[in-house]
Amino acid sequence: MVRDFVIPSSYWLWLPEAVLHYLLVVALVSVAGLVFAFLIAAVRHGPMRAGDMIYRVMASVGSDLLRFSPRRVFALARLAVQESMRRRVWVALVVFGFVLLFAGWFLTPSSDPKELGNFDPGKLYINFVLTATTYLVMLLAIFLSAMSLPTDLKNRTIYTIVTKPVRTGEIVLGRILGFTVIGTVLLCVMGAASYVFVNRSLDHTHELTTADLTDLPRDPGTISAGGKEGFTSIDHNHRHHVVLDAEGNGVTDVQQGHFHRVHAVKNSAGEVESYVVGPPEEQLVARVPIYGSLRILDRSGKQGEGINIGKEWTYRKYLDGGTPMAAIWTFTGITPERFPDGKLPLEMLLRVFRTYKGKIADEKKNNRVVGILSSIELVNPEQPSMKSTAIIFTAKDQVIDKHYIPRKLERNTDKGVETVDLFDDLVTKDGRLDLVLRCLEPSQYVGVAEADVYLKSSNGSYPFNFAKGYFGIWMQMVLVVGFGVMLSTFLSGPVAILATMGILIMGFFTKDVTDLFTAVIEHNYKLVPGGGPIESFIRLVEQQNITLELPPTFGIHLAQFFDKILMSFMRAIVEVLPNFNDYSNVQFVADGFDVPIVRILQQATLGLGFVVALFVAGHVFLRMREVAK
Amino acid sequence: MATQVAPVPTTPAVGDNVVVETRNLSKIYRDFWGRQKVRALKPLDLSIYRGEIFGLLGPNGSGKTTTIKLLLGLLFPTTGQALVFGRDATDVAKNERLGFLPEESYLYRFLNAEETLDFYGRLFNMPSSVRRQRTAELIDMVGLNWAKRRQLREYSKGMARRIGLAQALINDPELILLDEPTSGLDPIGTREMKDLILKLKAEGKTVVMCSHLLADVQDVCDRIAILHQGELKELGRVDSLLRMRDLTQIRASGLNDEAKAEIRAVIERHHGTLNSMDNPTTTLEELFLSIVRDSEARPGRRGKFEEDAKGGKTGG
Repeated sequence: MVRDFVIPSSYWLWLPEAVLHYLLVVALVSVAGLVFAFLIAAVRHGPMRAGDMIYRVMASVGSDLLRFSPRRVFALARLAVQESMRRRVWVALVVFGFVLLFAGWFLTPSSDPKELGNFDPGKLYINFVLTATTYLVMLLAIFLSAMSLPTDLKNRTIYTIVTKPVRTGEIVLGRILGFTVIGTVLLCVMGAASYVFVNRSLDHTHELTTADLTDLPRDPGTISAGGKEGFTSIDHNHRHHVVLDAEGNGVTDVQQGHFHRVHAVKNSAGEVESYVVGPPEEQLVARVPIYGSLRILDRSGKQGEGINIGKEWTYRKYLDGGTPMAAIWTFTGITPERFPDGKLPLEMLLRVFRTYKGKIADEKKNNRVVGILSSIELVNPEQPSMKSTAIIFTAKDQVIDKHYIPRKLERNTDKGVETVDLFDDLVTKDGRLDLVLRCLEPSQYVGVAEADVYLKSSNGSYPFNFAKGYFGIWMQMVLVVGFGVMLSTFLSGPVAILATMGILIMGFFTKDVTDLFTAVIEHNYKLVPGGGPIESFIRLVEQQNITLELPPTFGIHLAQFFDKILMSFMRAIVEVLPNFNDYSNVQFVADGFDVPIVRILQQATLGLGFVVALFVAGHVFLRMREVAK
Repeated sequence: MATQVAPVPTTPAVGDNVVVETRNLSKIYRDFWGRQKVRALKPLDLSIYRGEIFGLLGPNGSGKTTTIKLLLGLLFPTTGQALVFGRDATDVAKNERLGFLPEESYLYRFLNAEETLDFYGRLFNMPSSVRRQRTAELIDMVGLNWAKRRQLREYSKGMARRIGLAQALINDPELILLDEPTSGLDPIGTREMKDLILKLKAEGKTVVMCSHLLADVQDVCDRIAILHQGELKELGRVDSLLRMRDLTQIRASGLNDEAKAEIRAVIERHHGTLNSMDNPTTTLEELFLSIVRDSEARPGRRGKFEEDAKGGKTGG
């Protein structure tokens, strides 16, 4: 899973700093807003009257906030719900139903098992349902929230409300609550339908008959003694290689992110009659990972950066095979109590980059992609010479590689091979352990990122994790509703829709947008070429290349100066707006990782902070405007 | 006919309970850039007293509705102040004791009558039992029991106006503002509205109504203000303003021609001028209402005029 964000280790440690930061931003924005409002009012009415107007509005806003009525808020929320229902908002469920009905036709990319390779249908299906839900719900939230108040103002139905003892804040809050309730109900229905859809689409089994199996060589003392191996039937565009013991029981290999357990059905004479392949396992999971901190050794064995193989996205670094380059993860909290069965469940999701293709020995054997030879060693961080022998494995591209590191390992010494204990010898007293990964094949590369290697402490509840994925969508929806209602207090309906969409897009592409603004402010063409809007327009008119510097004339300098001011202002706005990716748990659920509760709490707290600020802003804006025209 | 301006009473109609007061209240509509577009209301000083029916008259564009909107806080004044129950018009708390019937039916068309009144009742923090009772009473009062479960989008204009009136009275307000209350109503509806306004006054409520239908205002209002082009032109009691002090009106019945001639001679002897002596006419509204009442009482029967014609009698 791509993990380019930080999750705090403790919610209660994170909260005070977050609250302080929030109050600071709210104070700055409020002061900026007041100054801006005063300037506008002063130009129109003079400074004395402007000051009086600002004071009156702030005083009335403050007193209104103290005289809120939950009953009125509930009545207005109920009205918003009734309005939405009678406007047939449930049509969105019908649309979603149709999408799910026909999605299966389009979700399987290929029917050729050999071409599917490392395709994971679980990830695809979960990604699909969560993304489809996100798009549908966000669109609905935008239109509902941004059009409601402007419609009331246009139809003048708001006259009969504001002439009752209703505070403008109650109008704003009532609408936010009402549309949130509608969105929540829709999300619950969509979530339930999605869960059933995913489970039913992925549920399958295979056939395995005696004719599909061949005997394994009889090596005494190994699991293959008296056993068989073979291949299952093809189902859902794949099949499994299976190894059975002498009793006819075993497990398949991992294909498309899952495996099956196989057991034999015997007759009264004890002879195997048939084999039963169980349902898929580990396909829909919620792993609880323990991550380590990563450092990379370069070709000379010193701390380095890793190799960029030419990809623009630099999230992963690559290790040159057949060299001293290595990736080292340092894990903490490794204790026998944490791993009571004495094994370290290690999982790796690596990338493989091959500089030459074609058949290598054992390249493709019976439909299994073999991969690149790599090794892992377990090392004591305080005593680098205390390390296990290398565990050789084949790294496969985008396939989760699972290893159960036993407690007793071997170590090469001058006196020969000796046994070491994982917890007693390799783990430090404070629970630290280093894991060293190397690529062994020359001219091949293994790509690594910090979150690609982890220890699996346990499996969380998949249904609960699925619900946590929907919680992220719900938080995004609440933010969209808040922005839609707030913007509609002073913008017309269509403009509020566009503005809300703009905030949503900026929220999903925050990094790209920030990079663009930063590039203009710092005049960094390497980051984003072309300059700001005015400079870009000049380039367009003069048909200038975006990568070349424009001639340093006074006009160009002036244009770049105004661009910097504009982009600084825009960057300040983007800094204040929410990053919608921070509220998305889609990748966690799709990649089969448990969404940490700390992240949920963090999202809820941040979301609540935004909603409170949007509510107050909407209250102020609606209070300051004339309802009648 | 010449009219004389009656002197405005120096003492308030009912004690010194001023319910609505405007002090130099004016409104100028401006564009986005702050340039003046329309001077809707020139500085207005007005007081409305508890228990009276006050009419704001004037042609279209005279500033009546602007004044109402300023009193309700729907607009902000350019200069001056509007006070309702002693509070600034933009103070939401004053709305607890106020009811407003807008000119058009600005109600939520996706709600039915019961839901509409229930919703507005909630906005006054009414407990549910009180709300239910009040909703039932008001629907009964406006005669919409038979359509209370239908959405307002299916209502006729008259029905929508009646439910609008019900929502204006949901909180049993002390002050009711009516914007063109009889506009668009048929004569029966108009009569019912006027009767209701008089009933409200009898209950001690204050009613402010604005209208350009002068006959309707004349029937119900105690005092009127006449606006034209945003300016107050006249203010006073209706009866005082309309009394023609230089004319004498005598109504008599059973006079023969001889008596009429004698009356003419008396007037001449006293150097008076007989302007006219003929049979007075009723109003079209009275005629219409009497025909409707008669038709309801005796369905299928023709009107009195046709019956008289058949019988050879002359009309009038």
